[in-house]
Amino acid sequence: MLPTISRGLHALGIISIMMFLLAPVILVFPISFSADAHVAWPPSAWSTRWYVALLHNEEMVTAFRNSLVIAGCVTALTLVVAMPAAVALTRWKFWGRDALTSLFTAPLLLPSIVLGLAILVIFAGYGLVGSWPGVIIGHLVITLPYALRVLITGLSTMPAFVEDAAGTLGADPWQVFRRITLPLMTPALVASAALAFIVSFDEVVISLFIAGTQLKLLPVSLYHYVESWTDPLVAAVSALLVLGTLGIVLIVERAIGFGKAVSK
Amino acid sequence: MYLEVESLEKRYGHFAPSVSDLSFSLGQGELLGLLGPSGCGKTTTLRMISGLVQATSGKIKVGGQDVTGLPTYRRNMGVMFQSYALFPHMTIAENVAFGLQMRKARHADIAKRVESALAMVHLSGVAERKPRELSGGQQQRVALARALVIEPDILLLDEPLSNLDAKLRDNMRGEIRDIQQRLRMTTVFVTHDQTEAMAICDRIIVMNRGKLEQIGTPHDIYENPATPMVAEFVGRINRLEGQWRNDGAVAVGDSLIRAKDDGGTGRVLIMIRPHRIDLSASDAKSAVSPEENAINGTIRHVTYVGDTFQYEVATTGGLLHVEKATSSATDPFQPGDTVTLRWKTRDTLTFSTEVAG
Amino acid sequence: MTVSTADEGTRSSGGRLLITLLLPIVLLNVIAFIAPVANLVAMSFREATATGSMKEGVDLATWSSLVADTYYWSMLWRTVWIGALITLITLVLSYPLALFVSRAERAKALLIVLCISPLLISAVVRTYGWMVILGDQGFLQALLRSFNVTPPRLINSQLGVVIGMTEILMPYMILSLLSGFGKLDTTLEQAAETLGAGPLTVFRRIVLPLSMPGVLLGCLLCFVLAVSSFITPKMLGGGRVALLATEIYDQAIVTLNWPVAACLSVLILVVFGTALLFYGQLSKIVE
Ligand SMILES: Nc1ncnc2c1ncn2[C@@H]1O[C@H](COP(=O)(O)OP(=O)(O)OP(=O)(O)O)[C@@H](O)[C@H]1O
Ligand SMILES: [Mg+2]
Repeated sequence: MLPTISRGLHALGIISIMMFLLAPVILVFPISFSADAHVAWPPSAWSTRWYVALLHNEEMVTAFRNSLVIAGCVTALTLVVAMPAAVALTRWKFWGRDALTSLFTAPLLLPSIVLGLAILVIFAGYGLVGSWPGVIIGHLVITLPYALRVLITGLSTMPAFVEDAAGTLGADPWQVFRRITLPLMTPALVASAALAFIVSFDEVVISLFIAGTQLKLLPVSLYHYVESWTDPLVAAVSALLVLGTLGIVLIVERAIGFGKAVSK
Repeated sequence: MYLEVESLEKRYGHFAPSVSDLSFSLGQGELLGLLGPSGCGKTTTLRMISGLVQATSGKIKVGGQDVTGLPTYRRNMGVMFQSYALFPHMTIAENVAFGLQMRKARHADIAKRVESALAMVHLSGVAERKPRELSGGQQQRVALARALVIEPDILLLDEPLSNLDAKLRDNMRGEIRDIQQRLRMTTVFVTHDQTEAMAICDRIIVMNRGKLEQIGTPHDIYENPATPMVAEFVGRINRLEGQWRNDGAVAVGDSLIRAKDDGGTGRVLIMIRPHRIDLSASDAKSAVSPEENAINGTIRHVTYVGDTFQYEVATTGGLLHVEKATSSATDPFQPGDTVTLRWKTRDTLTFSTEVAG
Repeated sequence: MTVSTADEGTRSSGGRLLITLLLPIVLLNVIAFIAPVANLVAMSFREATATGSMKEGVDLATWSSLVADTYYWSMLWRTVWIGALITLITLVLSYPLALFVSRAERAKALLIVLCISPLLISAVVRTYGWMVILGDQGFLQALLRSFNVTPPRLINSQLGVVIGMTEILMPYMILSLLSGFGKLDTTLEQAAETLGAGPLTVFRRIVLPLSMPGVLLGCLLCFVLAVSSFITPKMLGGGRVALLATEIYDQAIVTLNWPVAACLSVLILVVFGTALLFYGQLSKIVE
C-alpha cells in the first residue's frame, strides 16, 4: 500500500517536472491557432489567421530568409575552417597543441553578451556592423567551438590503424584523407553541420549586437516584435521553428543517432 | 640478401631508445620471426621497415635499394595489423581492391585479382559483406588477402594471430606458412609466442629492450641460446648458480655438474630444460656415464597437468623442476620419495655471470 | 614550434601543411575573439563624453564612478542572488528527473532527447512560450483563476524571470547530472543494500556523494549562464528587473556608453572567475 502510493507520487513528480520543461514549447502550438488579436488563454476561437498574417509580414519573411542564408553560409564555413583544424589537432603532435585546442573552444565559455559587445565595438570601427560578413564572422566564433569538439571526438575515436593500413597499401596522405578519413567521419560531419546550423539560426545575443537594424535576422526580429506587440504572430513563427528543429533532429537521428551527436 | 637492416635506431622523444643498434638481413622468400617480450620494440621495428615510423638513424634496404627515406605509400610492403585495420565502410571486395586501385590497376584486372586473392584465403563467398559481418578469423584472412593482393616486396605481419582462439591460431599459422611458401614471399612475422615462431619461421630474432639478443634458426635458438634471456624466453628452464672448478666441472651447492662447455672461470649460471631431466628411484643404482650428470634429490611437490607430471625436486645442488610424460604403465613419484636425476651434459647450458674485466 | 605527425613525422612537408590547416581558425579567433575581448577590457579604462564618443587618454574614471554608485552595487548583488536562486531551483527540479532518466530501462534515448532537445530551440521562442504561460491573460493565470486563486503578478516581475530562467537552464543541468550519474554503478547500490542500508541511507551515503561532481558542474554552468543571460530577463522582466547583463545591453545599445558597458562586462567576467574558483575549491572537497 505505502510503496504504491510513494511510487505513484514519485511518478507524478517526474511527470510534472517533465511537463514544466516542455510546457513553453508545447503551448505555442494551441496559441498559434488562436483567432484572438491578443495572446490569451483559452483562445476564444480557433483559426489559422496568424499563419496567414505571417506570410504577409514582410519583415518576418525577409528575416527568415536572411537567417536561413546566414545559417547556411555559417555552416559551410564552419566545416571548411573546423575540419582542417580538427585534422591538425588530432593528427599532429606539436608543442602547445592542447593550449590551442582550449583556446579554440574558449569562446563558448565567454558570456555571449560580453562576446557580442566586444565584437560590436571592434566591428563598428570597420563598418562591419549590420553587414553580412560581420554577422557571419560573429556567428562563426560560436559555431566553431561546437563543430571543433564534435569533429575532434570523431577523428580521435576512429578505428585504430585504418589510416596506416591505407598508407601501406599505397595511398598517399591526400588519398588516405579522401578515401578513408572523410567517409569514416561522416557522422561527426553531419552532427557538426546540424549543430552549426541550429546555433547560427537561433543565435540572438550576438546578432542583436552586430546585425544592427539594417540586417534583419529572425530571432532578433522576433525579440523586437515581442517588445512592442502582444498578438499570437510570434506563436505561429515559434511553432514553425519548433517543427523545423524537430525535422533537423530527426534527420540527424536517421543519419547517426541523436544521442551520440549531443552526448559528446 | 633481399631485406637488409643496418644499425636501425628509434627514439621517441628523450626516452631511452625503443630500438637500437638493430642489424639483420633476410634472403628472398625467407620467413623471419621477430620474438620478444611486450614492449621490446617489435612493433616499432616493423613500423620502421614499413615506413609508418621514421627511423632515428640506420638504413633499410630492399633488393639493394635504400628505402629509408621513402614514405610508406611508395614502399610496396604488405602489412597486416594486429587489429586487422580493415576499412569498416568498405565491403570485403573493396577492402582487398583498395591497394590495386591506388596502383591504378585496370578494372577488369582488379576484379580478377581480388577474386583470386579471396579464393586463396578461402573467402570467396563473402566479398560483398562488410568487415563487421565477419568473424575474427575471417577478418584476419581478409587482412592477409588485402596485404598479399598488391604483390608486395615484403610482407610484414604484426602479431596477426593474437586475437584468435587457440585452435584457430594453429590453423591460421599453418595457412600463413603455406601461402608464404607458395608465393615465396619475404616475410617478417612479429609475435611474442615462441611456439608460434618456432613452428613456422626459417629464422628467429629474439629481441629484448630494443636490442637484438640472438638471431638464428629455431633449433639454434632453442638448443644454443646466446643469453640466459633467450634461454628463458623460448621455454621453461631451470637455473642454478655455481662456480667453475679447475677440472672443468661446476660446483653447485654440494654437487658437481658437467656442462656442454668444459671449462671457464668464476661464477656461472647453469640452465637445464625440465623435460631433458630423467627421474629414477634412487635405489636403482646404475653407472654414471661421462656424458651424463646424476644427482640425488627428494620430491617436494607433484603437479599433474594431463600430458605431463611436473615435479619439484630438492637436490644437493638446489631446487630443480622436472617434467615427465604421464603414462598409465608407471606410478608417479610421491612427495618425499628420494630420486636420482640424470641428464646429458650436452643439455647443460652455462652462462658466465662474471663481469668481464 | 616543433612539429611531428602522430607517429613522429611521416610527412616531410608537415610543418607548412600544419600551419596552413590551422591558419583560418587562428585568424578567425584573433580577429573576432582575442582582439575584441582585449579591446573591450582596454575600453573599460576610457571615459565616455555626453555625446557618446570617447575622451582621449586612459584612466580609472569610469571605474571609480561605477564603484561609487550604489545602483550598480545593488544590481551586482541582485544578479548574484537571483543567479544563485535560479541555480538552486534548477538543481532541485533536475536532480530527480536526471536520476529517473539515467535509470530508465525503456525509452531511455527518447527521454534523454526530450530533456535535452529544448536546448536546440531558440531562447526567444522558449521565453515567448513562458510569456504565453505567465502573461496576465496567460495559461497559468487562467488555470489558477479557475481554482479561485488570485495569483501574484507573474510576468514583468522577478518571479517570472526566475521561473523562465529555471526552465531555460534545466537541460544544461540535466546534461551535467547525467554525465555524473553515468559513473554511478547500480551494483554499488545493490551492494549497499545487501549490507543492510535502507533506500534513504543508500541515497545519502552512496548516490549523493558519487553524483556530486555532476551536481557541481551543473551548478557552475547554470549560475554562469543565469548571471550572463539577458534575453529571458528582458522579455519576462519587462524592463523591471535590472541585472548586469541587461544593463550591459542598455548601456551599449541605448545609452551608447561603451566604457560603462565594458566595465560591466569585466565585472561579469570577475563574477565568472569567482564562481570558477568556488567550483575548483568545492570539487577538491568533494573528491
Ligand atoms: N608513439 C610512441 N611514443 C613513445 N613511445 C613509444 C611509442 N610507440 C612505442 N613506444 C615505446 O617503445 C617501446 C617499444 O614499443 P613497441 O610497440 O615496439 O613494443 P612491442 O614489442 O611491439 O610490444 P607488444 O608486444 O606489447 O606489442 C615501448 O617501450 C613503448 O613504450
Ligand atoms: Mg606490438
